[in-house]
Order: sequence, then structure tokens, then C-alpha cells
Amino acid sequence: MSERNRIAVVGLGEVHPPQGMSQRMSASEAARLAIADAGLQTSDIDGAIDLRRTGGGGDRASYSDTFTRFGGITNAQFYFTIGRGGALAGLATAAATGFLDRGLAKYVLCVAAVDDWSKAEESKKHGHRGMSHAEKEGYWGKALGDLRAASHHSWMAARHMAEYGTTSEQLGAISVAQRQWACLNPTARMYGRPITIEDHQSSPWVVEPYHRLDCSLISDGAIAFILTTEDRAKDLKQQPIYVSGQGFGEVNDGLWWEKKNLTHMAVPKARDLAFAQAGITLDDIDTAQLYDCFTGEVLLQLEDYGWAEKGGGGKFVASGATAPGGDGIPVNTGGGLLSNWHLGDAVGFAEAVTQLRGHAGERQVKDAKIALSTGHGGELVSPSMCSIHTTTILTAE
Amino acid sequence: MTNETVTPWNKPRPNIDTDSEEFWEGLKRHELLLWTCKECNASYWPKSFCINHDNEPFAANCEWKASSGYGRIYSMNRHEYAFHAGFKEDVPYFYALVELDEGPVISSTIVGEQPTDPIRDIGRRVRIVFEDHPDAGFTLPRWELVSE
Repeated sequence: MSERNRIAVVGLGEVHPPQGMSQRMSASEAARLAIADAGLQTSDIDGAIDLRRTGGGGDRASYSDTFTRFGGITNAQFYFTIGRGGALAGLATAAATGFLDRGLAKYVLCVAAVDDWSKAEESKKHGHRGMSHAEKEGYWGKALGDLRAASHHSWMAARHMAEYGTTSEQLGAISVAQRQWACLNPTARMYGRPITIEDHQSSPWVVEPYHRLDCSLISDGAIAFILTTEDRAKDLKQQPIYVSGQGFGEVNDGLWWEKKNLTHMAVPKARDLAFAQAGITLDDIDTAQLYDCFTGEVLLQLEDYGWAEKGGGGKFVASGATAPGGDGIPVNTGGGLLSNWHLGDAVGFAEAVTQLRGHAGERQVKDAKIALSTGHGGELVSPSMCSIHTTTILTAE
Repeated sequence: MTNETVTPWNKPRPNIDTDSEEFWEGLKRHELLLWTCKECNASYWPKSFCINHDNEPFAANCEWKASSGYGRIYSMNRHEYAFHAGFKEDVPYFYALVELDEGPVISSTIVGEQPTDPIRDIGRRVRIVFEDHPDAGFTLPRWELVSE
């Protein structure tokens, strides 16, 4: 990739708003922080992408949510939404690359924002748990009791357990390791609240085989990042973090028909494309930010990428290989969606940038030069697929 | 087998659209319809184009055909938590992804004899049960365990 004018992340903004803040104000604030972080002026931003979880059944953008208006990004020549469930930052980066490569924009601002926590609090007043419950077009199962992501994502863990003998304690090791990382991250939701395997085991079942501590957090917040080309990036305030490789996979590529979809994710093609562009192998990766809406997704990816053999992920995580000081690979070093906060893959993407900049404080992975950030999302219920997988390789050099 | 219920519908309603309307009508007649290719007999659910060969416009080479209604539990979980207030009386319930003998996978809850464990009972044989809700205007598919 080095002969090309690579794309770089040059600005990063992350906010955790006080209760009741609207999604658009959070988005605008994260945008303001990212612009300041990059040392740019608001008027430099000439393209804007809004990261939305639409495909996974999450929020839909409405015309009033165009953050460029609220954030005063008046020079943005384009604004559009992108995303599929938790696959946000990877897709936005690929889309922005097209605009930057073609000279259609110089600085593209990508922003994601959620107010899920506030929505869930509202929903509780009506006797429900979690967010809204309107049946979505093409969705199967709400009438039957398939109500939240845990209703069907837990099938992946269940199938893996049935097929390979994976245990709940092994899944718990993922929660514990990520909580250890969160306890090194002062801005993590679960900072200062360490847990043990026993805590995991005694946390209530939500949807068995998932305990509460197998499930990710519900959050309010926003993340913004700015992408530009390598030549421009070199003149800015921050050390550029390069997008050195990207790849994408979809599960209709054989997985459904082979009935592998619950124990494998659409990793192989995404991984191979991204690794080839970046010119790396698995061993070159210093830290992995793996999409972790539940513990099972982490387990599957550790196997699909090759850190553990298929079926051996449980043993791998139980050894502490992904925890601080582990001998495998540091995974979800900010605490991840399980223990840091939840804004799809944008959380891991931001953590990867933070690690590569060397700004990760106590949780800093020593000499981190190459980071993997993955995204995952889309329909799972019908006909039982788990859709997109995105691989992004970020590098410090 | 019919599983009758008279309680008023206080849960989310199913999504019935132009593609699935015939499927839902089939359930009312106590038929589990699968979208089946007339050329190669491959079954699909929901309505899809056949992956095995070229299709006629709008997949007119396929038609709705009744399934045997038998399959195996491909994966399963046990809901302990009523995410929606309408399910407060139902928890805990087993929610199973079933691979039909014809190939497609369809999920629903298990009625009648309950599994003992969501993991150990993966692989168990099941058959369709039609649960009529005439007041609500639909019939829901459920699964029941069958012994082998």
C-alpha cells in the first residue's frame, strides 16, 4: 500500500454526555472535539458521514438529525448515513476513502452517536426492558419473544457450546479480561469495578447461555473521527494513524448454506484482503479491537482470525491470553462494548487509534504499531445469518 | 395439533408484508409453507430467488409448498428476562432455531414438554404446532419436542 497516498485518521473526539442529551447535540460535540484534536478549523471539513446502525435494526437517521447543521459544519459538500448494525467505522472509512482518493473531499468528518441509555430508561417506564419494540420490516420473531439482540445472538454461543464443549466459565473469562482492561481506562463505564469468574457466573441469566455479564452495555455518547490523505495528514497536529488495509465479508458467502453461521463469522475474505493490503500476518498485530456485542462474538473471532483453532477459543481465553499481561493478544484494551461503552465498532476503532498514538495511559500496549479493528452487524434472525464482517488494519507508520 | 389461547394480544404483532402474506395465510390453515423451487425442489424461507440456477422474473420459478413441519433444533436459548412487558408471564421460555428437514431455518418457542437444558437439547427432533389467535387475526408457529 505504501506507493499509494494512504488514508489517515487525524482527529478523534469522544463524548459521554450527561443524561438527556440528544443524539444530534452529542454528535455535534464529538465533531467539535475531533476538529480541535486534529488542529483543523470547522471550515476545513468538506465532507461528512453519519454512522448509523440501521441495518441491525438500530436507529434510523431522520432529516432533523443531520449533525452538520447543528454542528455548524457549513462547508460540508456531502452528508450521508452509513452503517449496518455494529459495522460503522469500517464502512465509513471505506466510503470516505473513495471521496478522498477521487479528490471529492479533503477532510471527511465521520460521526456516530447514540442515546440508547436514555431510550432504555424511557422504555422502562412502560414496563419494558431495553429499547423500543416496534416490529421492523422483514424482522421475524418479536411476536414470538425474539425481542432483543440477546434473543438470537445467544444462539451463537449455545451452538458453539453444543458443538465444541465451550463452557459459560470460558465465556466469563472474556468478560473478566475486558473488565481488567476497563479498570485501566478511567473513562470506561466500568472503571473501578473489577469482576471475577464467580461474579460472571452469579450474574443473572438474561438469555441462557448468556449471563448479564456476557452482554454489552447500553450507552449514551458519540465518537467522531476525521480522515484525510497521507500527504495532508503529515502537516497536522496529531501523529497520523494510517488505514493500511480493509476487507469485508458477508455470511451469504457460503455460511448459511453450510450451516456454519452460528460458529463462524464472515472473517476469512475480510481478513485476507485487509492483511494483504497492509502486508501483515496475524503475528504482526499488536492489539485487536474485536467487535463484542456479546462474549460469543469475541470467542468466534479469536478462532476465525487464527489466534485459536476452531473450537479452541474457550481454552485460549480461559488462559488469560487476551487480558492485561496475557501471552496471547491484547483484546479490547479499553474494556470494549462489554465494559467500556457501546457505540458499535466506533468504540474499538477509537481505542485502536488511541493505542497507536501511544495515548492509552495505564492500559497502553507497549510499542503498539499495528492494530486490528473489526465490525459486525446486520440481520441475524431470519434466515439466521450474522451478516457483515469488517476488518480494518490501522498502523502507526 | 392446535394450541388455543384466548388471552388478548399484548405483545408485538408479527410483521406481515406482501412477501410473507401467503405464508401467514398458510399458518391460519395450519400449513407451514416454504418457498420451493419448481425446477430443483430447493426450499427457501423467507421468499427468495433460487441460488442453484437462473431465475424467472420475481422468482416465478418458485411457489409456496407445505413443509413436513419436522426438523431439528439447530440452536436454542432460554429467556429468563421479559424484555417486553407482554412476556412477563411467559418467562422462562425456550426459544429455538430449527433447521427443517427441507433445509430452511425458522425460529420459535417450544410449547408442551419443555427441554431440560438449552445446550444439551440442541439436536432434538421437533415438529410444528399451530397456535391460533383468531381475535388478533393470525396464527403463530411454535415447536414441540418429539421423541425418536
